[in-house]
Amino acid sequence: MVIYSFYIFDRHTECIYSKTWLPPPSAATTSQHDIPTNNSTSGAGSANSTDPHHNPMRSARSAVSAANKASDDAKLIFGTVFSLRNMVRKLGGEDDAFISYRTAQYKLHYYETASNLRFVMLTDTGTLSMRNVMHQIYINLWCEYVVKNPLSPVEHKGGAGVRNELFELGLNQFITGLIAR
Amino acid sequence: MSYYFAIIGTQDNPLFEYDFGTSKQGGDGMARFTEQARQLNQFIIHSSLDIVEEVQWTNGQMYLKLIDRFFTSYISCFLTASNIKFLLLHQPPTTTSSSSSAGLPPSSSSSALTSSSTSTLVQPSHSSSSSVLPSLSTLTGGSNASTTTLGGATRTSTSIAANPTSPQTEEAIRNFFAEVYENYVKAIMSPFYKTNMEIRSPVFRARVAAAGRKYL
Amino acid sequence: MSASKASRLGEEIWKTRIEKVNAELVVLTYGTIVAQICKDFENDYTEVNKQLDKMGYNIGLRLIEDYLAKSNTMRRCSNFRETAEMIAKVGFKIFLNVTPTITNWTSDNKQFSLVFDENPLADFVELPDDGRAQDELWFSNILCGVLRGALEMVQMQVETHFISDVLRGNDTTEMRVTLVRYIDDELPPEDD
Repeated sequence: MVIYSFYIFDRHTECIYSKTWLPPPSAATTSQHDIPTNNSTSGAGSANSTDPHHNPMRSARSAVSAANKASDDAKLIFGTVFSLRNMVRKLGGEDDAFISYRTAQYKLHYYETASNLRFVMLTDTGTLSMRNVMHQIYINLWCEYVVKNPLSPVEHKGGAGVRNELFELGLNQFITGLIAR
Repeated sequence: MSYYFAIIGTQDNPLFEYDFGTSKQGGDGMARFTEQARQLNQFIIHSSLDIVEEVQWTNGQMYLKLIDRFFTSYISCFLTASNIKFLLLHQPPTTTSSSSSAGLPPSSSSSALTSSSTSTLVQPSHSSSSSVLPSLSTLTGGSNASTTTLGGATRTSTSIAANPTSPQTEEAIRNFFAEVYENYVKAIMSPFYKTNMEIRSPVFRARVAAAGRKYL
Repeated sequence: MSASKASRLGEEIWKTRIEKVNAELVVLTYGTIVAQICKDFENDYTEVNKQLDKMGYNIGLRLIEDYLAKSNTMRRCSNFRETAEMIAKVGFKIFLNVTPTITNWTSDNKQFSLVFDENPLADFVELPDDGRAQDELWFSNILCGVLRGALEMVQMQVETHFISDVLRGNDTTEMRVTLVRYIDDELPPEDD
């Protein structure tokens, strides 16, 4: 099982958390060195990917473009899942839920809470449903470390309060444990 | 039997007072203090605080039992851990009950007592409790006589009303204090209550009255 | 979800998944907060009610996530009546261990009352006898805010207020909940 990336969107449709483990296959051929390297994270709107092999000017530019690309990706993904979810509801009734779709390259898993928090995970095509995994992330990591942290704001504008140490650590451990299985 | 119950704060300030009579043996629960005695009671209780301070460190008990006596007024005390004092003044009826008083000498001693206590009361020097004490000592002879006769008269009776020093009375007052203490804790748990503030809660008053009816 | 199923769910979560805390600690903490707010606002009880509601609202915004996580709710209530059942039999059960009675529905199914037989927040409490608190202060007003905040997160705009309180000498403690509207999904901003 391979997990490429993971996104959380809040009820205001903003991407408040994103994490990339491996470069998604779609980006692999085009600009590999612009993609955050293994296990680095790129927050919404924050540029934290650097590449030591480039000169400062170049790396700064590439960092900005990587950040832009990440945020564009996030917007694209949200647009997709939002439309699919609405379409599914229209066709299958209010209680129907959009769970996942699969392309030749990857599989996208979707989970939405009643409070309109949306979790999206991109994996390889062979992975079984990750709905339960994302539900666990919501219960055990999101609720415990983000919601119950009194210093974290209620609305996570720009991802504020989400990217804390415990959540980060917990998520990493959880995902690493999954992949190892 | 008439009772006067007071709760005294840590600064020797009164927090609560309530007087009532016995409800046992057909008592109507009304206090039978004279108007003067009513005012005197406060001074008696206040003077007992000195005794409380003497006694309170001698044992680890919260219920200090009977600690003081002023003529026919007996004072029992209960201490909370936060040094709030519950004081109960109990006074057997000055005109002793018909059956037991039959064998008594004429009630000259008790009537003399009341008159003398009235005379102490009208003394203007009553503004402080310490002034009560000398007058007490001058009159101890009379009070001794009265208590012995009282004790002799009520020895046969198990009524707590008539016998302030009996074990039954001690136990009844213990129960009364225990119940009041429980309700006191509930009253001060109210978030709007501050330490050493007068307890105005009507609910608490009603519960003290209920405890009085139940045990005394 | 039927009423009996909801109460079974609430019971089960309460027994297995809830960490318990000393009730007196909660009572004293909440009481102290209310007393302090009263002091801070110089016994302007209208303002105190407002502050309590606001605090509750902020709690509700977060508490809903805990509620959803603990109750494993995967789907929305199908109507407001079901919402009421879940609030009373699951929400109040797991967080306060009380189950208020749902009553006094209006015919359009948009308004109901929660009647509290017991209110753990108000144990030991006696309102100040300044002659106004009995008429103006809603001691447990924080609950209104919690409900409002929590329901807003699941896309229901409601209006909540107490209409009676045993602390004031009323026979019951009753909270009125009114559904204002369902909030629509937010749409992503248009790309330029």
